[in-house]
Amino acid sequence: MSVAVSNLSVDYRGHGPDLHAVRDVSFVIPPGKMLGLVGESGSGKSTVAFALMGLLQANARIISGDMQIGGRSYDLTKNATAPLRGHGLAMIFQDPLLSLNPVFTIGAHLIEILRVAAPGESAGRRRAMAEEALAKVKLTDPRRRLDQYPHELSGGMRQRVVIAMALLAKPVLLIADEPTTALDVTVEASVMREICALRDELNCSVLLITHSLGLVTKYCDDMAVLYAGEMLEQGPARAIQRRPGHPYSRLLLDCEVAIDQPRREPAMANSFKVIGGELPDLRRPVSGCVFAARCDRAVADCAVTVPSAVRLDEEGRHKARCLRIGAS
Amino acid sequence: MTTAVSISGVSIGFGPVTVIDDLSLDVPASTTFGVVGESGSGKTTLLRAALGLQDVRRGEIRLMGERFGGSLAETRRRARVIQPIFQDPAAALSPRCRIGVLMDEVAKVLGEPRDALRQRLDEILRRLGLPRAILDKYPHQISGGQARRAAIARALLMRPRILAADEPTAGLDVSVQGELLNLLQELRRTEEITLLIITHNLAVVRLIADRVAVMQSGRIVEQGEANAVFARPQHAYTRELLNSWPATS
Repeated sequence: MSVAVSNLSVDYRGHGPDLHAVRDVSFVIPPGKMLGLVGESGSGKSTVAFALMGLLQANARIISGDMQIGGRSYDLTKNATAPLRGHGLAMIFQDPLLSLNPVFTIGAHLIEILRVAAPGESAGRRRAMAEEALAKVKLTDPRRRLDQYPHELSGGMRQRVVIAMALLAKPVLLIADEPTTALDVTVEASVMREICALRDELNCSVLLITHSLGLVTKYCDDMAVLYAGEMLEQGPARAIQRRPGHPYSRLLLDCEVAIDQPRREPAMANSFKVIGGELPDLRRPVSGCVFAARCDRAVADCAVTVPSAVRLDEEGRHKARCLRIGAS
Repeated sequence: MTTAVSISGVSIGFGPVTVIDDLSLDVPASTTFGVVGESGSGKTTLLRAALGLQDVRRGEIRLMGERFGGSLAETRRRARVIQPIFQDPAAALSPRCRIGVLMDEVAKVLGEPRDALRQRLDEILRRLGLPRAILDKYPHQISGGQARRAAIARALLMRPRILAADEPTAGLDVSVQGELLNLLQELRRTEEITLLIITHNLAVVRLIADRVAVMQSGRIVEQGEANAVFARPQHAYTRELLNSWPATS
């Protein structure tokens, strides 16, 4: 089943005018595919995730937005996806302890999910299924883990438990919000491999929310670039990496420090790329392109005209919103 | 070449657990030295020991050739030699102190006249691209990036010979991470300073460090010229670390 989100806009109420955190964001994730939603702090990427789950804070308001799952449409402004949590929607948070109750064993967490997901099974069979799920995410010694508590496991092991929980819930859409940010690189690689394995086994759609372009280009099929609440570019991850259509995507890719980047001697001679300027104030209305003030290719028109999506490939899968596309 | 940080035969433990086991390490003066390794490998504990924030069970740590005790006078003496930059800048700035008051504390420790210190401070703020107005503000009134730079400004004001940074780029977006790294690089080019950097960002440490040490389970499993370690890793763990790194190119 394909998952599509259309025209999502979210405001936050606070002191003064409302903050328009997400504006008119749309994307599609085909079944069995992983979309990497990249953006820096303040881009609104977590707001997107929480809006889809119906878990936004009380001061947030969804202005518009629909989610379509396999032909059925859910009105996000009416919190219509909330009943889907655990029945089609699953989420992996940055901190696995948010998903694990400290006073329950690992087994209790998994069996609770099976009570909903596999109501016909006996208690013994459920325990066996839970053990099987832990083995699938390559947790060592799964039988013993069932009787352990969250605090007895390391961060990477806990994240595997949460993935096993998602596996048992059999979601149509799995949202992973910075699932590896708190983990070491070696653990990060193995947790990402388990998320990919889950995607392939369940043939579900995965939305990976991250600030790491490296992670997206390595593991995701598609990429979407969010800046100050607006989608600036989306398309196949490889295509964007090879030929970014939006200047922001290009600058972001340039800032990424590659492990095989040429090294100058002495070490103190090496310098790093930055994107100058700051995020616009989202409490004020944005005119023109939201990135114009920091863009190295901006012309006068960029500050006035709102750019519409330009197709960058024949199938229309790779799109970027920039007035300067095609200009020299 | 003088040795900025000399660690010999150091063991550190918490209760029954040994975190650092008979570790020796020399950081040459006026270089950037990177320590990499996974969480729990003991890198932060080692850094805290060098800063005098962690008791050592066995062994000895010398900074610029000198040993330091635990008394207040010794702590002050040590603070002129080594200064920390912590991962979370907010942890280094008291929420109840205006940034300016915090900077004046340095004058007290150094016994320097306040006017002379303020003059040096102006120069440091200018270099770090911080407006003077932040001196009148509380930490919560400035941005995260400014707080990070304010913590570095305070450290530099002490005129340390060694700056010890624990995960200085953790949690930063790539677009602003470069700014901090360029600043550290500029310090290296213009000052006689030693940088000891703890990080798990291999791509970054490969570019800024002259030498690196790879830690695993409280031991150093490999060390050498950054170039050599990254080009021809000898230890299986170092190879695993490098292979796990997501590549963008």
